[in-house]
Amino acid sequence: MPATDYHASFLGRLSIRRNQVIAMDGNHEQELEDLELFSKHVSECFTELLSPPDDVPFDTLLSIPWLRKLLDVFLCCEAEFKAIIMMGNDSFQISKPPLDRLIPDLLDRSVKALDICNAVTNGLDSVRHYQKLAEIAASALEQKPIGDGQARRAKKALNSLMLAMSIDDKDCSAVKTTERSWSFSRRGVNKDRSPGHFRQVAKSWSAAKQIQTMACNLVPPRGAEASGLASPVYIMSVIMVFVMWALVAAIPCQDRNGLLATHFPVPKQLNWDQSIIGLHEKIGEEWKKKEKKGAAGLLAEMQKMEKLGHNLMEFTESFQFHGETDEKAAAHAAELAETCRRMEEGLLPLQVKIREVFHRIVRTRTEFLHALDQGGKSSAPLV
Amino acid sequence: MEKILNAEKSGSFPRFGRRRSKLETSSFKLENFKPKEADENQITRSNLEHGVKRDHMLEQVDQFIENLASARDKSITPEIPDLVEQFLKMVDYRIGTYEMREASVMFGQNQEEDSMFFEAVNRLSKIVSNLDEFILDSETNGCFNRAGSILHHAMSLLENEFVALLDVWKRSCNVNIMDSKTPKIMDSKTPKTPKQSVFDSNPPEMEIEFPYFTSESISVMNRVATAMIFAGYQPECCVAYTSLRLKALDAEFCNQGYENINMEEFQRMEWASQEREIENWIHIVNYCTANLFPVERQLCNSIFEHASTAQRLFGDLATSLTIKLLNFPNALLLIKQYSTEKLFKFLDIYETLCELISGIGNDLSAKDLIPDTSITQRRIGEAAVSIFCELENSIKSDNGRIPVANGAVHPLTRYTMNYLKYACEYKDTLEQVFRQHNETEGSTEQEPKNATEGNGESISTSHFATQLRLVMDLLDANIDMKSNLYKEPSLRYIFLMNNGRYMLQKVKSSTDIFKVTGDDWSRKRSSDLRQYHKNYQRETWSKVLQCMSHEGLQVNGKVSKSILKERFKSFNAMFDEIHKTQCGWMVSDEQLKSELRVSISAVVIPAYRSFLGRFSSHLDTGKQQQKYIKYQAEEIEGLIDELFEGTVTSMGRRRHIHLSHGK
Repeated sequence: MPATDYHASFLGRLSIRRNQVIAMDGNHEQELEDLELFSKHVSECFTELLSPPDDVPFDTLLSIPWLRKLLDVFLCCEAEFKAIIMMGNDSFQISKPPLDRLIPDLLDRSVKALDICNAVTNGLDSVRHYQKLAEIAASALEQKPIGDGQARRAKKALNSLMLAMSIDDKDCSAVKTTERSWSFSRRGVNKDRSPGHFRQVAKSWSAAKQIQTMACNLVPPRGAEASGLASPVYIMSVIMVFVMWALVAAIPCQDRNGLLATHFPVPKQLNWDQSIIGLHEKIGEEWKKKEKKGAAGLLAEMQKMEKLGHNLMEFTESFQFHGETDEKAAAHAAELAETCRRMEEGLLPLQVKIREVFHRIVRTRTEFLHALDQGGKSSAPLV
Repeated sequence: MEKILNAEKSGSFPRFGRRRSKLETSSFKLENFKPKEADENQITRSNLEHGVKRDHMLEQVDQFIENLASARDKSITPEIPDLVEQFLKMVDYRIGTYEMREASVMFGQNQEEDSMFFEAVNRLSKIVSNLDEFILDSETNGCFNRAGSILHHAMSLLENEFVALLDVWKRSCNVNIMDSKTPKIMDSKTPKTPKQSVFDSNPPEMEIEFPYFTSESISVMNRVATAMIFAGYQPECCVAYTSLRLKALDAEFCNQGYENINMEEFQRMEWASQEREIENWIHIVNYCTANLFPVERQLCNSIFEHASTAQRLFGDLATSLTIKLLNFPNALLLIKQYSTEKLFKFLDIYETLCELISGIGNDLSAKDLIPDTSITQRRIGEAAVSIFCELENSIKSDNGRIPVANGAVHPLTRYTMNYLKYACEYKDTLEQVFRQHNETEGSTEQEPKNATEGNGESISTSHFATQLRLVMDLLDANIDMKSNLYKEPSLRYIFLMNNGRYMLQKVKSSTDIFKVTGDDWSRKRSSDLRQYHKNYQRETWSKVLQCMSHEGLQVNGKVSKSILKERFKSFNAMFDEIHKTQCGWMVSDEQLKSELRVSISAVVIPAYRSFLGRFSSHLDTGKQQQKYIKYQAEEIEGLIDELFEGTVTSMGRRRHIHLSHGK
């Protein structure tokens, strides 16, 4: 079932329920049913991301279309989550244990996610830069037959591409540059600037650490809490951490050292998150491979670009003009051009989607804070 | 300078090896590219003979290009004249000479030489692009390859020069070097502008304005970019431009004191520091809309002749910067709660975002940004609304049980009225914010009242005015409630008068707030005040006046002394008591105070005078009169003038905006 249809019907059911709840306050059974629906839907969404059914076009793991789907899933789950928490006497529930403790935790996590969104948005600038360089190489090598000039042109572009990727990657692993801190105190122009193209947040800021702090106080609900509203908060937290983690793994970000160490404390008996665990493991394996090779990120298009770039680099290095067409190189060049085209198509929508996630997180946070505030007021004794 | 013929192709660039459209090739026309005789003639005599030879060669090359362009059947391999090989060698040689020069000052040493170089490169581009259309045999293929190779060499040279000129960082670090190496020709030929003088002065501080380019270097960059784009090297040129300008603009942001913001840390900051950064942010955005963006666009337009290329490049830069700028207001939205005073900062931000949006709106290239910007603006507006509503809540929840001493103006009244007065300075922005809010809410109950009346009074349909009146009504209700805390009805009316008067004065003192509240409100308020005044008179003075009634004094047609004595006694006691308590009451508004005194005097003095005149003779002169007639009319008047001073000497009213919420 397509996620959106399901989503619509889920919210529809909730809204009917909402009216009922007002009529019969605190119907625990229905609440349980909603929670079950929610976790079931989450599970379905992520299963589809892990191994899409046959009738759905296959998107490579961590490709741009896949990431867009992932963000769609996030937005969808987030909307449902909010509907569940805010259902009925919203401010009433939210200001009582355990939500009065769990929701602020979630909100802290969401602020951290915003910084990730910003870092990833910056990272996309780098990806776009790579794409432009790859385009130059691809189009120079698409010439038939390839001349010395075009071969050199391609080589130059590929060199810049590989350099840019490795610099951004080094930027990720060790920040030696005297980059600015986040504060904006007035200060003189900093002249010792890094050769990297696009800088990120603050010199000490680390995407990997950010993700780890998001995950560190993530504890599955136990005992009686496990069947109540604590469980969707936990599910939402895991989704948020996972989505941010996947974005950081895919797109160049500042300091991703130790990203793999991000641990999701998920008890085995839960079944809603088996697909998340599956995805986590799969991406983790990719990451391990990457750490050995050294690459700018796990974005499928970028990996492909890198691989083709290496091949074409070898070709241009040993190139001698014969007036003949090298079929293999031409095929690689065509593939590189195709990859670039897909990036051209997909990067802007991906960026827009990331901004959408960003704005959604800000909005939800505001709404929850408001609800907490209202709840706090209504429960406080009137003087 | 030749026009760019194939500069923009839907974000891509001309690909050799693909069949070009007839239109493009046919537009290469010979007459556009005649060697400029004037230039050639200026070559020194020793080179004259060489120059004539070269003229001949260039004519031949142009003829060759023309032939290629006009050939109909591109499957016939063209014959390449020997002169073309010579031409290639010449270009190669010239590239070699330029390569020897210092980067960033490669051009501009000899104008004629530069022109010849660029013309030669353009010819070479044309040879390559035209030959590319043909099916070539192995021999011509060799020549084509050489031409392509030399063209790439030329392009690498140009790209390096472009980067060297564009890289403000390198240049700013190397001002010293540049200073000593800047060729004399640049100094002598052009008048020194203030911008340029930095290169000659010591110490080599960067004092010139953003974007720190001399007009010479801009014109060289324009030439280089045009040649690169003409040769199909637009992508290289644009990549270099975008990444270096992003770097430079980032640095300029830093220079202006704005750096990337960390959401997490920002929301933990103290308000005082946040406030400073709000100021700073507003400064930066204004600087961007008024200065940075126009200047940057100007730079882009003067380097890239092709409007759509320039537009796209500038649009990309503006997008990147704007997203960075928007992070700040978004970070502000994360903060838990805002006290009411923070409204004005939010409104400042809202206004700044309005300007940013209208700035973007005029710029087609950055239209994509408008949704992002207006979402942020809307949220800031929502935050402003909720802060304003906090005021309502704080009025509603202000239900202290202790009345303000002496019936003086309640701090809540002062606070609210000063707040509203200040808010009215933002009335247009608040109007917009509330309209947006009500549209989003889609609620009908929020619809402005009196909307149907529509008798030309635009205020009545205003969303903000509705909100403002709501606050005033709440304040009224609250003050009314507080007035009931006074046991003594007279004091209650003094309290109501004091507060009502304060509100009225505040409204009248500012045209902004007066316009928003409207005439009716003031009229209503004035009549309320009159009523309070009457009620006060009645409560306090009617009994006093009863003592002086001429009625009931006579017993059997004779004035009864004992009753008269009793009357005098009770008048004295009452008046003393009133004087004692009401001197302590506080009426801080001088006018109100004098109105009260005048009206009391007007009632009491004539009555007393006439009572005295009519009945004092009934008392025995001397001892009795002294005992019962305590005051002369003048004395009474003097005592009335002592009322409402408050026990403490009244402090002069504060003029400046005072928002402290003292309780």
